[in-house]
Amino acid sequence: MKPLKIGVSGVRGVVGETLTPDLIVGFAQAFGTYLGPGRILVCRDTRPSGPMVAAAVMAGLLNTGCDVVDLGICPTPSLQLAVRWLGADGGISITAGHNPAHWNALKFVRQDGLYLTPGQAEELLDIYHQGRFEKATWDRMRTRVEQGEAIQHHLDVLSASFDLAAPRRRRLKVAVDCCNGSCSLLAPRWLATLGCKVLAINDDPSSPFPHTPEPKPETAGQVRALVKAGRADIGLVHDADGERLGLVDETGLALSEEFTLALATDIALRHRVGPVVTNVSTTMAIDRIAARYGATVVRTPVGQAHISEAILEHGAVIGGEGNGSVAVPRVQASHDSAATTGLLLCHLAETGAPLSALVAALPQLTMLKEHVAIEPSVIYSALQEFRDAVQDEAGTSVDLSDGVKVAFADGWVHVRASNTESMIRLIVEADTSARATELMDWGRDRLRP
Amino acid sequence: MRAIPTLKISISGVRGVVGDSLTPDLLTRFSQAFGTYMGSGRVVVGRDTRTSGEMVRQAVVSGLLSAGCRIVDAGVCPTPTVQLLVSKLRAHGGIAITASHNPPEWNALKFVGPDALFLSGARGHELLDIYHQGEYTKARGTRIRVVESMPGALDQHIAAVLEALGPLPADRRRPRVVLDACNGAGSIVGPRLLEALGAEVIGINTTPDGRFPRPAEPTPENLKALCAAVREHRADIGFAQDMDADRLAIVSELGEPIGEERTLVLAVEHVLGRTPGPVVANLSTTHALEPVAQRFGCAVFRTPVGEANVTEGMQRHRAVIGGEGNGGVIYPRINFARDSLVGMGLLLHRLADSGRTVSELVSALPALEIVKIQFPFPSQRLGEVLRKARREYADFPMDLRDGVKVMLPDAWFLLRGSNTEPVLRVVAEAASEDAARGVAEKVRDQVNEWLA
Repeated sequence: MKPLKIGVSGVRGVVGETLTPDLIVGFAQAFGTYLGPGRILVCRDTRPSGPMVAAAVMAGLLNTGCDVVDLGICPTPSLQLAVRWLGADGGISITAGHNPAHWNALKFVRQDGLYLTPGQAEELLDIYHQGRFEKATWDRMRTRVEQGEAIQHHLDVLSASFDLAAPRRRRLKVAVDCCNGSCSLLAPRWLATLGCKVLAINDDPSSPFPHTPEPKPETAGQVRALVKAGRADIGLVHDADGERLGLVDETGLALSEEFTLALATDIALRHRVGPVVTNVSTTMAIDRIAARYGATVVRTPVGQAHISEAILEHGAVIGGEGNGSVAVPRVQASHDSAATTGLLLCHLAETGAPLSALVAALPQLTMLKEHVAIEPSVIYSALQEFRDAVQDEAGTSVDLSDGVKVAFADGWVHVRASNTESMIRLIVEADTSARATELMDWGRDRLRP
Repeated sequence: MRAIPTLKISISGVRGVVGDSLTPDLLTRFSQAFGTYMGSGRVVVGRDTRTSGEMVRQAVVSGLLSAGCRIVDAGVCPTPTVQLLVSKLRAHGGIAITASHNPPEWNALKFVGPDALFLSGARGHELLDIYHQGEYTKARGTRIRVVESMPGALDQHIAAVLEALGPLPADRRRPRVVLDACNGAGSIVGPRLLEALGAEVIGINTTPDGRFPRPAEPTPENLKALCAAVREHRADIGFAQDMDADRLAIVSELGEPIGEERTLVLAVEHVLGRTPGPVVANLSTTHALEPVAQRFGCAVFRTPVGEANVTEGMQRHRAVIGGEGNGGVIYPRINFARDSLVGMGLLLHRLADSGRTVSELVSALPALEIVKIQFPFPSQRLGEVLRKARREYADFPMDLRDGVKVMLPDAWFLLRGSNTEPVLRVVAEAASEDAARGVAEKVRDQVNEWLA
């Protein structure tokens, strides 16, 4: 199986293998045909293939008669805010998020700054497959302009969304690992704006990724060392494009990425009680935290498009996913690691409590994740067989909104197809690790690819 | 079967109409093929000012990067600047994005090889083979190389001209020059070069926005504004460039176009006066060259039409100067390319050295007038038409290297299919314009009869 994934979360592949200029030009033309002709923002993360992909994207967009506003290297959430700020008709963020450096992808953003919904993404795919794109004649051909202020605008929005007085008084010491990604241009500036003493590493956007740009305990080694050596109050790990955030407490302990949303939920609900949005795969700690405040939890299928839409529909006070992605609706309804940083640091500064104490007050659960690589042609039959196998299990209830999620009295098992790779993911959670292992065995036994 | 009239893929490049056949996917694939052919080396990219220029440039950049190339981005610049940079930087190749004199809806890629010459012949065929085979080098995601911008590209070109020719003599009156850059790639560099040479410059159509103020071809009928400006400003000379500033036409101090053919003749006179040597021109260039070269005891060699053929002939014959009758002057001491900047430098020096006016210089040239006509034509019938022409004119001396060229007693004509457009071209030269037009139109009527 070649690494290429064309689906509702965009087009994603390995440069040098499947993600060719041809394919990118085709998708950019489809997007320009779908939204345009209009003004489209384009940004990229720091992968070496970024300029190649960006050039193909811009050629495709220009050919459909779109105006291209080139934001250069810029986090995805900065582009999402800039779409509304500049009155643009949409945007394309060139980033493979947490995937390794040889991957790249296109993320499609609408006029309101949100990702295309699955329905819209399917329309875009239809246009791509039909291959009949708008073509601008020479007298309607527009050009590319550079816009270097999107990150500054993002900082302005962040500053206006939080009360900066407490963090500026407290002057927290923060260790941050930008993974040499596009957050290198945003995170240190935002921390300085918050009055923090900043210990930044891997903040050079012209250098390669020092580790996989996926914030989780395995990639937090450098920032853990930095927290300890620098006696920092907190350590932060960014992905390549500013969506996911991983945390390290003041003792140098790296937290599971599931804790980012759990902490954010606890903080948000302390300030204002309202609905919480997360996907079906995210820790049930969210439900237990919400229950403490009498708040409701809305569960969606996996993927940012679903989260953002539910945040707006339910007027949620917080939303996000278990991979470290959090949307702070007062900033924007999209995943934004800088907004997440603002929420956490303002709270730490206001309460003066150490991060480890905040974490200790959260429900402590064990989550296990596994995946089974599987041919795309049999993914759906494997899921169907799993569903048949677990349908009549006593003492469970089954949720089919995204794959198959089986809820037990004391935990859950979720089996779903990955949106980004050709694999089935198994996620289980329980109060104890022994029970979690038991549930994982239970799920694996019933999944026969 | 109907040919697609808006796309022309040949060994001299790929040319088409934007919004129609010249799509970004075609352009990226061609650039991938070229990057593959150039061994993933360093490639210079420049473009003219056409409205589609940025779209095409982005497609080219994407294709080249994907093939593992390093790119030197010369930005908006004349085609000869791309060739000059390939040579000066010892790059592996170059792509000039321009449809030179074609109307604004056209654009094209012109491929430059490591010797700074346009690809042609066998090398052009090899590139086409790679394109059609579709097996391009694909650099892995972590090994994609960078785009270096080259803000000093135009300065290097100006410096090269000045270094070879020197500034105009300081003890003479500064010539007053009007330049019509057609809002093309010469808009910025043209006035700067002329000032650097020491001329007083008045620019018209020097806004590089790709909005054609006139048809791009610098033929006499397209130069009315320039003629008026020369008269209004009492200028010594008017220069007109095409979109990519490879071709140069001249307007005399009287405000009259002297005819594109004479650009090369005047440049040849100047160069041979200082450095006698062989001259090379294509088959359709004025026969005024031969008597002028003879005055200096020099020979003229003819080649098939196309810059690549001319430069190849120049290398073979070690020419000191060469070019084409369409205003393309090639002076290898500076740049092995048709170069209007070089042409302007040579012409201003010719005026300064001779102390005469443009019209005086022109009146001393052999009295020959050339007429070029073209008409739409089903390209698949080219062979048949050329065969009939050969039979019809079998009694006269002929040159069959490129179409059919016939030497009549008081005139000559050349009948050939265009390399760039689906048209048939007839070029005829005789002692007067009427006589030349008579010959050309007779050939056209004969062709139409054969096709009927």
